[in-house]
Amino acid sequence: MAIGTDRYASRADTLLFLACVGLSIAALSLPDQWRDPLAQGLRQSVLAPLLFLQRQTELLAAARYRYDEVVAQRDSVALAATFLPELRSENVRLRGLLGLSQRLGGGYVSAEILHQPEPTNPLSFVVSAGKKEGVRLLSAVVSPEGLVGVVASVDEHSSVVLSWAHPEFRASAIATDGSVVGIAAPHGAEGPKVWLLELQGVLYRQQVQPGTVIVTSGLGGVFPRGIPIGTVIGQAGEEKGWGRTYLVRPAIHPAELSHVMILTTPRAAGSDLRNAFTAPDSLAPGEPPR
Amino acid sequence: MRRTDRYRYPFMMTLLVVLQFTVRSHLGGDRIAPDFLLLALLLYTIRAEPGKSALAGFIIGLLRDAMTVVSFGAGMLAHTLVAFASSWAKAVFFAEHVFVKGCLFFAGTWLRNFLVLAISGKLQGSQVAWELLVWSPLQGLTTALVGVVVLWFFGGWLSPRRPGAIGIPV
Repeated sequence: MAIGTDRYASRADTLLFLACVGLSIAALSLPDQWRDPLAQGLRQSVLAPLLFLQRQTELLAAARYRYDEVVAQRDSVALAATFLPELRSENVRLRGLLGLSQRLGGGYVSAEILHQPEPTNPLSFVVSAGKKEGVRLLSAVVSPEGLVGVVASVDEHSSVVLSWAHPEFRASAIATDGSVVGIAAPHGAEGPKVWLLELQGVLYRQQVQPGTVIVTSGLGGVFPRGIPIGTVIGQAGEEKGWGRTYLVRPAIHPAELSHVMILTTPRAAGSDLRNAFTAPDSLAPGEPPR
Repeated sequence: MRRTDRYRYPFMMTLLVVLQFTVRSHLGGDRIAPDFLLLALLLYTIRAEPGKSALAGFIIGLLRDAMTVVSFGAGMLAHTLVAFASSWAKAVFFAEHVFVKGCLFFAGTWLRNFLVLAISGKLQGSQVAWELLVWSPLQGLTTALVGVVVLWFFGGWLSPRRPGAIGIPV
């Protein structure tokens, strides 16, 4: 007998339904060794394209997720790579400091330049060594390239250094061959000129060729003899009186530094530190200054 | 009747099957995402005779069981019963109205889940209460919602064909 009236479910419908129910019950009681191959056969035949579609969709979604991840990683690497030249430069500088410390032998203190997060006077800076480390007032501050400045005030564990660009900076200077003597001072108090030095008080009759390396003379007892100051790049303006003034390209720019060495022990009279430093670039005759 | 009309119904059924295997996994958790395959079956039962509906339910259940072999046969029996009941009840009781069909989708989904649990012998423990009172109603709701949307936009393509089920078009 059909379920319901013939209008809604014919005898054929009922039989088909009962057959399906019977097959379902039979499937329920199938042993594993029959059931699994049947399911596997269906998955590998009828369902294969649909499962492939599902797998591809999942892969697509995962790929999109991974793409975002890869882009984020690439951005991070690109950001890290921007610091690479700076790290290399710092590495070279630290190696230079190590070399300088070996050549100096002793009587120095290594210090880190404490960069200030807020805008500050670029002509002076604070270093991480003070009285406790043996730093004294007017100690010379050097880098492997040459003279950086002089200690202007000393605290317990920090010191303020006036760089060579500071208007109050002065150093007795001499050419490496000893032919010219003068006073090294900042070229200007503001603007681009501030980052150049000048050699003042050179006798009028003395001509200094561009490319001549200028070092500290040791006079006055503040700076030991032989610390490179810079290289002469030309004459500075008109002569005044009986002296000449020359522009000097400094051996090192303070902004390039992260670590410095402070000379703490007075050197023996007549000692020359020239061989301890790397020679600054000298200009070939006729070469225009940079 | 246009030439393309005869292809619309198979196209909709195929589309629902494809959605089941592509979109469904991205529509939230597996327990609440709409069941496009069951929806296709229920849409089929609306216009097919109970016998054919039972056969379609059996085939759908067989394919589902092949994908989840934990309780092989439970899906077949559940889908067969739901498909036959839906087709029979649709012819006997239900009017041609989108809301009524939405209720049919909801009830069909809930009943299918209940039957699968019952037949596979998992009607015990507190998880069943969660399944029948929370997850199944939620899945029924989402399935019914998709079904109503499908009928709303493509009702003309899925209009009943069998005698005795012709009513007021939606």
